[in-house]
Amino acid sequence: MSLLDRKLLRDLRSLKSQALAVALVMACGLAMMVMTRSLILSLESARSAYYEVYRFAEVFARLKRAPLEVARRAAEIPGVAAVQPSIARMVTLDVPSLPEPATALLNSVPERGEAVLNRLHLRAGRLLAAGSRGEILVSEAFSDAHGLRPGDRLSAILNGRKVSLRIAGIVLSPEFVFEAPPGAALPDNRTFAVLWMNYEELAQAYSLDGAFNQLALALQPGASESAVIAALDRLLVPYGGLRAYGRVHHASDVRVNDEIRVLQGLAVGFPLVFLAVGAFMTHAVMSRQITLQREQIAMLKACGFGSREIGNHYLKFALVIVCVGAVLGVIGGVILGHRLVGLYHRFFRFPDLHFHLATGVLLVAVLASALAAVVGVWGAVRRAMRLAPAEAMRPEPPARFSASLVERAGLGHFFSASIRMAFRNLERKPVQAGLTAAALALATAILIIPNAFRDGISYVLDFQWDIVQRQTVSMSLVEPGPARALADFRHLPGVVSAEPFRATPVELRAGPRSRRLAIIGLAPSGLLNRVVDADLRQMVLPPQGLILSSKLGQVLGVRVGDSVWVRSLEGKRVERTVPVAGFSEDFAGVSSFMDLGALNRLLLEGDVISGAYLSVDRGRWTEFLTAIKETPRAASVVVKDAMRESFRKTTAESIGVLQTMYLTFATLVAFGIVYNSARISLSERARELATLRVLGFTRGEVGAVLVGELSVLALVAVPVGLWLGGWLAAGLLKTINTETVRLPLVLTLANYSFAAAVITVATALSLLLAARRIKELDLVGVLKVRD
Amino acid sequence: MNPLIPAPPTKEPPASTAARVFAVRGLSKTYGDGEAAVHALAGVDLDLFAGELIVLLGPSGSGKSTLLNLLGGLDAPSGGTLRYCDWDLGGADEQGLTLYRREAVGFVFQAYNLIPSLTARENVGLIAELSADPMSPEDALHLVGLGARLDHFPAQLSGGEQQRVAIARAIAKRPRVLLCDEPTGALDVRTGVLVLEAIERINRELGTLTAIITHNAVMAGMADRVFSLSDGRVVHTQVNAKRAPASGLEW
Repeated sequence: MSLLDRKLLRDLRSLKSQALAVALVMACGLAMMVMTRSLILSLESARSAYYEVYRFAEVFARLKRAPLEVARRAAEIPGVAAVQPSIARMVTLDVPSLPEPATALLNSVPERGEAVLNRLHLRAGRLLAAGSRGEILVSEAFSDAHGLRPGDRLSAILNGRKVSLRIAGIVLSPEFVFEAPPGAALPDNRTFAVLWMNYEELAQAYSLDGAFNQLALALQPGASESAVIAALDRLLVPYGGLRAYGRVHHASDVRVNDEIRVLQGLAVGFPLVFLAVGAFMTHAVMSRQITLQREQIAMLKACGFGSREIGNHYLKFALVIVCVGAVLGVIGGVILGHRLVGLYHRFFRFPDLHFHLATGVLLVAVLASALAAVVGVWGAVRRAMRLAPAEAMRPEPPARFSASLVERAGLGHFFSASIRMAFRNLERKPVQAGLTAAALALATAILIIPNAFRDGISYVLDFQWDIVQRQTVSMSLVEPGPARALADFRHLPGVVSAEPFRATPVELRAGPRSRRLAIIGLAPSGLLNRVVDADLRQMVLPPQGLILSSKLGQVLGVRVGDSVWVRSLEGKRVERTVPVAGFSEDFAGVSSFMDLGALNRLLLEGDVISGAYLSVDRGRWTEFLTAIKETPRAASVVVKDAMRESFRKTTAESIGVLQTMYLTFATLVAFGIVYNSARISLSERARELATLRVLGFTRGEVGAVLVGELSVLALVAVPVGLWLGGWLAAGLLKTINTETVRLPLVLTLANYSFAAAVITVATALSLLLAARRIKELDLVGVLKVRD
Repeated sequence: MNPLIPAPPTKEPPASTAARVFAVRGLSKTYGDGEAAVHALAGVDLDLFAGELIVLLGPSGSGKSTLLNLLGGLDAPSGGTLRYCDWDLGGADEQGLTLYRREAVGFVFQAYNLIPSLTARENVGLIAELSADPMSPEDALHLVGLGARLDHFPAQLSGGEQQRVAIARAIAKRPRVLLCDEPTGALDVRTGVLVLEAIERINRELGTLTAIITHNAVMAGMADRVFSLSDGRVVHTQVNAKRAPASGLEW
């Protein structure tokens, strides 16, 4: 090792706490980068392996009923490689551990042999034997939520008849990697299940012998998906076919894609902020180091070291920090990634979700942090390189002092001598003061981000379940039925009020863009499930026209007054253009609303409803639940509080883990920045402070100068940091803006107070640590010539 | 040795017929311009020869430090010529100056300028590494009488000892020229004399052209020649027929 490198190592040792603080900040950024990129890789590789091995279909279609012969004709469509007809029905379940009824999507599996497409992965128990009756397979997410095992029993209402079913096995399906009720934006593994039953038993229960009501297709390589969809639609229209769709519209696949997209945003956003902070800190530490070593640099140059060698020496200094940061970051990223993969298993059910280290990202991560460090030190190193040796050996000119602005304004007597000294110091060295203030502001800002995420999520939940949904339960009928069903709901025990709704699947199209979703018809100014605008005011549904969620408006590229083309996908298959009457606010999924009467007129149907929102008296809740478990007409019952609780326990908890992790990082980084700033300002002041000590100031009085200075800076920096944090949070939240989930920017007083409190505590602790060094100030050295 | 810088003449010729190391003609240096211009050197003519020990004497502001900086390649002149062994030192670029300092010059500074994180041996070794044919750090430190303090850090050494480490550092690469800027400025008489003895010994034993700048007229006695500077000019040159030993100096 060259002696210059040995100097480097010894200098680093004496700066170890500061170097470590910088390395930790970089490590935090890198850990997040490695973790998120690896999660993306893990999800993507698990998904592609799963889809391939279990033959996930590429085109999907639902229809009312068609003979199996039609499926054989579908197989003859050019470009189709395989077809898998099946039956799927929504049923109501009675689960012993659940007070309210649960809903299930009951699918058929071929009576004999394995399915051609969308094969099941067996987790526990066994698959269904040919000819077995009264047995089902249950999705893992639901069985986990209720602790169900093979051999347990569930009651289901099949076509109005209550039957007891024995669980043969627990399974996974590539169609339900993400398991949410059809059309629902949030998962609810407690009250929604996916079940499978032998084809013939299910067909008999619904009189669908020799027929099917859903079809999955695999395509030949190079086949045109849109051509196949068009041909399939033509084939299925006579059989009540809803428009077929590809994987891009498949509910489960969309969720996996959205998650990956959010991770992609986070993989860039957070690390960028942290690496920028790291670069900034490297700059601060190196600038100080180079100022302190001014004479050493001059000597080295005088003795014949070239500018490049000097430059390299200080660059190496920064690169050692990067290496430590990179090693810590990668280790941290791998550990956290392993933990998060476990967490992801709660939402995304793959047979085999393992942590895959994205090795490519390691290189990117190390390069990114090296770049950050080099950018950080470049200015300082250039200063070292340009330093003229003869210049540097002369002592720096004495600093000029004058009364500070505060004193000139006649306010001096309000402040103690220490504070006055602090003001003068700050005014004398505005650049250093500015840099320290900027560091403190950054430290404050990064604390705002993770809590803004938390507050955004809790806002969405309150919005969803307090502002929009005010019903106790929503109940759907098995089939849309006449409005008099509402009267039956009203007569259920405990029901205080009931409002009808109609949900009808449609395709909305504006120019080249289209989406398939349900139009929800509601009472124009209903009190239970409300449509609200961006200012949270309830929107009265106009007698004509659609209200779209603003995200849907963006997706379709329409404005109020524009028309969208609506095609109903059930019933009379009406096609109409309908004006857009307004935009509503929502954060999960996309939706469209219409006045119930207007919707029924549009569909050319009479007074039809799909179900009702009910407000139920808490006192008669048990009575109500017992009654609805016996109601065969109710296909699904969604209890708002249960949904909320389930969400809190799963999604919110896992977001909580992420948020806690980010917050821990941010807090660590904030401490690092503040401590670093205190150390640098102590180092800049060391000579002055030692002089004060020699002149008879006590340690406390000398400490007060430093406290005064940092306090003044913190007072300026914290408000700026709070503003900056809000700005950064807004930037990062923009990356979470998908059709399935969006986060609003919510900045709460609690968030601001937390950030300010952390900075205050960090400042106090850093000052305590710095105070130890005041004790060690070299009082004799200060009397000598500076060397 | 780099082709940019000429090979030094043979060492230790007799002083009178010695090879000329520096040829200085009309050398001037101006800082700033216009009305604020400061003429630190205003036309200096000098010839310095191998093996000589010279003293540059003068009050502060007389231009002696500026002259030393120019001789050492730390700064470029504003006018006149400055040749080192017939090489145009005055017209050298940054890279040439760096090579020149690396291979031909040893510096001793008033403030020692040791690297605090390196031991005495390492401080010397650091600079010796730059040379193709260095003295071992141990030998260099023995030459200045610090053979027993090789592994001490600067903070563990007295001022005089630190300055002698700095001298060992300067001579370990066997430079042609040793330039000392107020080497005893921060020292008391007793330790100052020790430092001067070390410089004298180097000059005698290695034949290094040695230039000392000082405002202390007593040191003139130990030199072959003494140049007194005032207002950027050499105002007086004194040639000593016989050099007084450094050990006999007192101030």
